[in-house]
Amino acid sequence: METIRSDTAAWESYGFSAEAVERKSARELLVQHLGRCADHAGLSSGLRALTDYVSASHYLLVRHDAAPEAGLEAVVASDWPFDMVRGIAGALLASQSRTSELEKCLTLLKPCFSHLDETVTAPKGISREYCVVAFHVGRVRMSLLLLFPEHFILSQSKLRDVGVMTGYFASVCCQGAILRQDREMELTDREVECLYWIAEGKTSDEIAVILGISRNTINNYITSVMRKTATKTRSEAIAWAVRNSLV
Amino acid sequence: MDIQLSAPGAMETEIRLARPQKAARASDFVSRLQVMQTILGAEHFAVLRLSGHGLPSARKLTLSLHNWAHEVDVNARALMEAYGPAMLAHLEASMLPLLWEGAGENQFAESGAEPFTARLPARLLPWSGMAFPVRLGAHGNGYVVFLGTFIAPSSDLIVDMHMKSCQLLIDMLAGEEKKLTPAEALSEREIACLQMAGDGCISEAIAEKMGLSVHTVNAYLGTATTKLDAVNRIQAIAKAIRLGYIT
Repeated sequence: METIRSDTAAWESYGFSAEAVERKSARELLVQHLGRCADHAGLSSGLRALTDYVSASHYLLVRHDAAPEAGLEAVVASDWPFDMVRGIAGALLASQSRTSELEKCLTLLKPCFSHLDETVTAPKGISREYCVVAFHVGRVRMSLLLLFPEHFILSQSKLRDVGVMTGYFASVCCQGAILRQDREMELTDREVECLYWIAEGKTSDEIAVILGISRNTINNYITSVMRKTATKTRSEAIAWAVRNSLV
Repeated sequence: MDIQLSAPGAMETEIRLARPQKAARASDFVSRLQVMQTILGAEHFAVLRLSGHGLPSARKLTLSLHNWAHEVDVNARALMEAYGPAMLAHLEASMLPLLWEGAGENQFAESGAEPFTARLPARLLPWSGMAFPVRLGAHGNGYVVFLGTFIAPSSDLIVDMHMKSCQLLIDMLAGEEKKLTPAEALSEREIACLQMAGDGCISEAIAEKMGLSVHTVNAYLGTATTKLDAVNRIQAIAKAIRLGYIT
């Protein structure tokens, strides 16, 4: 009798824990699946799996470090209808640059919902509301935009999961792209150092004292920065450096 | 199922939007970290935050919360010497958690989320550990580190802990928010002038576009500089971008 009861208890506890494991493993299975996708550079199939995990229907992954005029350059991957991508990518980047840096920091990984512009036509049965989750892969801020079926409510906790896991996935899959972009607009250490001190409000003369080099050399560095970044004035060069979080 | 899950999530979002007046105290953070430490089976935790704006060489990680008690100096220095530079570089490039094995007989560190964790060289420290990089943006970046002899979290746990780590640093940043905002709000005219100056216009060009005299434009830029507590126009532009007044 005693044995039977303890067996039942064991069985029950096993049943309970088995259920818990099953519930949790959706996320673990997803991580495993993403791991396999990362090996094959299967960016789209990984994002597809992440989209399915929150029961959304379409994904759009954008990076926010591209220049505003670059347009579709900012789009990393997407299975949204092309017209919608074209309509939204610009608007999204513009709205991002209107939010303060601090606000951006505080809303990381927090799912935000917005409405599609009136002029954009959504596919049939798809909600006009979309969800944005932002995260950072190193210095690059990225956002995952999700479309979902009408009258459907996405789980907040799953959306947060997806934010983290997309971050992991992108860290592996997009690493090449992120590093490459960094190299393209490479400034020398000295140039960045000058930019930093100018952004701190120092004049060429003061920087000359700080760095122990001549004032003309400083001015040469700055001219070279302005040439490399295609900016017209010192102010614009600093603005560029701040926007790209170099200083 | 999804609807049930999202209801508390939505409420939580609302609460976070109306941020608490009283800043969360260090003891709140410590108790949250202790819970995380227990779940991970670690023996110690440490929160490292990135300090020093600007130059990559001037940036460093500083210890802001820990439970090392009196051994703090020795341990913090050991951690920094072993992994400080690697952690700094990693924070610039990736979101993957870091994992390392300590020196000694019974040290074990294994991640359930391969390939989404990055390994650091083993046997440099007396403890194994796991570090979650948190990159929020312009402010408040850093690591949440857990140390112990046996660190082997499942992928599920890693995603959870990473999310909690992010939230922790977000809350720490929200507590410091007051220090970052300027004493007096900028006027619309001042913002417009700063924006154009940041876009590479000289005062004459701004005056022409706004239909003002050059002196008025310079006066606006001057008051904006004072309000932003900057020493000159260029620093004012840098600060205005960081604070989100202009893009």
